[in-house]
Amino acid sequence: MAQAAPARRSRFLLVGLILAHLTAISHQVDGGTGVSLLQRGVLGVLSPLQRGVGATAFLASELWRGWAFHRETYAENRRLRERLRELETELQLRSYRAQESVRLRELLALQQSVPLETIAAQVVSRDGVPWFRTLTLDKGEGDGVRLDAAVISATGVVGRVFATGPRAARVQVLLDRDSGAAAIVERSRVSGVVSGQVSGADAGGEDLALKYVPERADVVVGDVVLTSGLDRIFPKGLVIGRVRFVGDVTGLFRDVRVEPSARFSRLEEVLVLKSAPPPLETPRSVE
Amino acid sequence: MSRALWTAVAIAGAVLVETALTYLVASPGRYLDPFLLVVIYCALSFGETHGMLAGAAAGWVQDVMFGGRVLGLSALAKLVVGFSVGLAGGRFLIATTAARALVVLLAAVADALLVEWLASVFSVDSRGLPPLALAARATLSALVGGLLFALVDRRVARGRP
Repeated sequence: MAQAAPARRSRFLLVGLILAHLTAISHQVDGGTGVSLLQRGVLGVLSPLQRGVGATAFLASELWRGWAFHRETYAENRRLRERLRELETELQLRSYRAQESVRLRELLALQQSVPLETIAAQVVSRDGVPWFRTLTLDKGEGDGVRLDAAVISATGVVGRVFATGPRAARVQVLLDRDSGAAAIVERSRVSGVVSGQVSGADAGGEDLALKYVPERADVVVGDVVLTSGLDRIFPKGLVIGRVRFVGDVTGLFRDVRVEPSARFSRLEEVLVLKSAPPPLETPRSVE
Repeated sequence: MSRALWTAVAIAGAVLVETALTYLVASPGRYLDPFLLVVIYCALSFGETHGMLAGAAAGWVQDVMFGGRVLGLSALAKLVVGFSVGLAGGRFLIATTAARALVVLLAAVADALLVEWLASVFSVDSRGLPPLALAARATLSALVGGLLFALVDRRVARGRP
């Protein structure tokens, strides 16, 4: 009995509410504005809240889109970087091959211009110790390389073989202070000996000294210095370098420095003369 | 917190969820009705009278905020649904998550059919919900509702001394 009353009350309430709703809906359908006050009230209270939520949701949506875009961009960036690295590697490889092709063409041209038989060799190491200027070649006695053989490159004289192995040879570079090559100034035919500079080599210099040039010899900056062939190591007429400095007389001779034409620091392929050059006539002496 | 205040907060929460959903999916009402979940939870927890009143309040807010030109259709439908669910909650043991999800499923179908029927009775032009969409909406509401009710119950139980 006690439970029936609330139940009855709630049913009355239900019926009442349904009737009220039906009335309200009918009123609107008939064209009236019976609920405009309610509508305005609810909208007035909740619309600012809704606007706030809308703005927040919009912001969250934009953030999400931004994050997704960022992720996509990041992944694309990684892909592109990887591709760029691949292309850079490929480009370097092609560039290396192109340079190698140019060098080999130069070497071939040199080989054809030198009247003696030569062996092409690769430089496998250089300047193993700081005190000497040497190279190691990948060809040795087994390939026909002999001691004191001249080593030349497309750009100029490199040095001479001072040690050989079955499949390797060591080369003393002209820059070494203990090296030497009989030389002649192309223009004035002034002869001398080219070797590495003591002080220059110690200081890391890359110039050669043209020794034994008499005080009154006609040597000026820019003169081309060639091998004279007198040393029986280097054939006559190979380019050693160009006079870079003509200094004061020290003792009996003039201080002349020569900039070598061979690019020692970038040598990769060289030619080794298989036999010694034939004996030459004595060159004209310098007055 | 009093029941009325709790219901008001829940209805406000439903407004926020519905508003947020509009920014994430097109026509969120076709997939989920957060107001209906509030009504069902109130009806199951507090009985048919509270369910009925919560249904009327939530329905009106939904009509005003998201409804069409004629207001009161959702309110009347949710009023009836709230009363019915409250009545069923008093008669049967609807305590498990699965049972509650089933109630939400049936209530969602009933709510949608009621709104469509009322719209046709009052000659209000409305976009009908195809059966498949109705089933999807009811299923999703049931899943979300079942999960949400369990979470709320756990939270309420933890708050109790």
